[in-house]
Amino acid sequence: MQAHLHARWRLYALTTAFAILWCVAIGRLFYVQAIKGGQYASKAATQQSRKFEIPAQRGLVYLQESNGLYPVALNTEVYSLAVDPKFVKDEQKTSNSLSEVLGMPTQELKNKIATKSRYVEISKAVTAEKADQIKKLALSGVILQKRASRYYPEGSLFSQVLGYVNDDGKGQYGFEQYSDDQLAGNTGQYNTVTDALGVPINSAENRLVEPKNGKNYVLTLDRGLQTVAADALKNAIVTNRAESGSIIVMEPSTGAIKAMVNYPTYDSNDFRSVKDYALFSNRSVSGLFEPGSGFKAITMATGLDTGKVTPETKYDDTGEAIVSGKTIKNAENHKFGIQNMTDVIQKSLNTGMVFVLEQLGTNPKLITLAGKQVLREYIEKFGFGKVTGIEQAGEISSKIKPANTYDIDYANMSFGQGISVNSIQLLAAIGAIANKGTLVKPTILAGEVNSNQEIIPNKTVEVRSVVSPTAAAQTTQMMTQVVEKGSGYLTRMKGYKIAGKTGTAQVPRPDGKGYEENKNIGSFVGFAPADDPKFVMLVRIDYPKVDGFAEKTAVPAFATVAKELFRYYQVPPSGN
Amino acid sequence: MTAATATMRRNQNITRNKLAFQTGPISVGVMLLGLVILLSLLYLNQITKTSVFNYKISNLQNKQSTLETEKQKLQIEAARVQSLAQTKANAVNGGLVKTDTVSFATAR
Repeated sequence: MQAHLHARWRLYALTTAFAILWCVAIGRLFYVQAIKGGQYASKAATQQSRKFEIPAQRGLVYLQESNGLYPVALNTEVYSLAVDPKFVKDEQKTSNSLSEVLGMPTQELKNKIATKSRYVEISKAVTAEKADQIKKLALSGVILQKRASRYYPEGSLFSQVLGYVNDDGKGQYGFEQYSDDQLAGNTGQYNTVTDALGVPINSAENRLVEPKNGKNYVLTLDRGLQTVAADALKNAIVTNRAESGSIIVMEPSTGAIKAMVNYPTYDSNDFRSVKDYALFSNRSVSGLFEPGSGFKAITMATGLDTGKVTPETKYDDTGEAIVSGKTIKNAENHKFGIQNMTDVIQKSLNTGMVFVLEQLGTNPKLITLAGKQVLREYIEKFGFGKVTGIEQAGEISSKIKPANTYDIDYANMSFGQGISVNSIQLLAAIGAIANKGTLVKPTILAGEVNSNQEIIPNKTVEVRSVVSPTAAAQTTQMMTQVVEKGSGYLTRMKGYKIAGKTGTAQVPRPDGKGYEENKNIGSFVGFAPADDPKFVMLVRIDYPKVDGFAEKTAVPAFATVAKELFRYYQVPPSGN
Repeated sequence: MTAATATMRRNQNITRNKLAFQTGPISVGVMLLGLVILLSLLYLNQITKTSVFNYKISNLQNKQSTLETEKQKLQIEAARVQSLAQTKANAVNGGLVKTDTVSFATAR
């Protein structure tokens, strides 16, 4: 009886133990599946799936030529080369072999390999050919990694306009940076289920998002003109022992930039070797300068458009004008007596500009607030004080001083001192005079190239009418006298009527106290043929170390390029 | 009772003869096994075909990638050959000289 009772107790105990175990198991299942289910599911998904990025092809950049499109920015593949010193078996042999292929000093390579790091970068851009040679050497510890890169067939010719693409695939400077989002496209993605080793397997759950390649663009620039401008600029810089310079050529009716060069420059294919980062900037859009007498055309156009002066309006040039107790003189202390407004532009008289500013206001004998307001309004209408919006990264602009500032500031501004502009702003403003008074947005973008290699053209953007066609024509006529009888004489060409204005501006000191001694910026901005302009051009020569004004430094380069432009646009000489 | 009902009732006594062919548990098992093997073979066949197609696709993708790389290389080579530096070199080698003056013909 007792044994029977004992057996029953054992049975109960066993049943209870099993029941508890079941409860624990079910509880655990509930915890894992219901409470922590989501967390474990996502953990499993991470382990069982992988995401692969599919890079998009960067858009190409072309120029339009008579025989089709010519690419100036192409895609290529390069390899980054590194070593893991831990796996390098023979340092000497590895250094020698790599040195032979890469052309790098053996000792430099050996020093790099001798470091204790696990990843030593040797080169960021090894060409596919060299990478193949290295692969064939089968050197242990050498790591080659392929990545997309850019190739610029014309090297330095378009470098500052195009910019470059850095090792992270980002556009830097110029057009590459400005249009980076459109050129880069959208990266694709392949989400795939993987096996235990992480190898993708076919599954209905795999998802593919195709990459969207970047847009292809065609620029307005012309290779031939760009070369002519680059050669002329380099020659001018060398001849004048100048530090730097720029030439820009634009079509006044469309705003299309045909050439844009700066000197010194760099090769976009070799951007890694550039030590002076200032070389990367396109100084035509990012370098501010005081335009000097080139700005007189703007002030004069203002006077003519408001009807306050006419080409025949006369004033007495005493050689100086007193403004707020300060004396403004003509260049080289010239004084010419009674002069008309055409003489003012032709002889580049500072006193004449102060006279025009006085006429703009309420009292023709004084600089007044009203006169300053009118000049400021026109300066802004000509596009100064605001970036032009050209498709270039890093365009900068300065602000125009308010009208309630000192009279002397506005007196200086009337002849281009004390106001900073960038080259493209000055070119566009003079382009407005050439274009019968209408300001057009300068552009380097001719259009987009679609998948059929057809061009979807970019539309010309007319910003605004700045001055009347009559005022523009009168200003043009005055500017032709600069070439015929004034400082632009070196660009005179038989049978061609050229309008232009020289400018030799002082360079402000970095501390803002006055101007640098023996430093100037010579410029010449003009257009031709004057009665039906095909091009407007600006030449700027910074800090020449020869005597003389812009007529000696900038004008000859203008003449060289203008001669080629007449051929380019097939403009025959008029015969008079 | 009608004649038809009587006939029907009579027919109820008709006995059905057993079929000569009968399947026992062993033959059913063998048939099932055969069916499983057949289906497995079909499945294997499909899997093999899929793998072959996958291989072909992968091969074609590789070819496409190689062709794209080749196209890129050719584009670069074409651009390099047409570059101004190369054109200048060719012009010098070919003994070409730059024109200095251009004359315009007048239409009458």
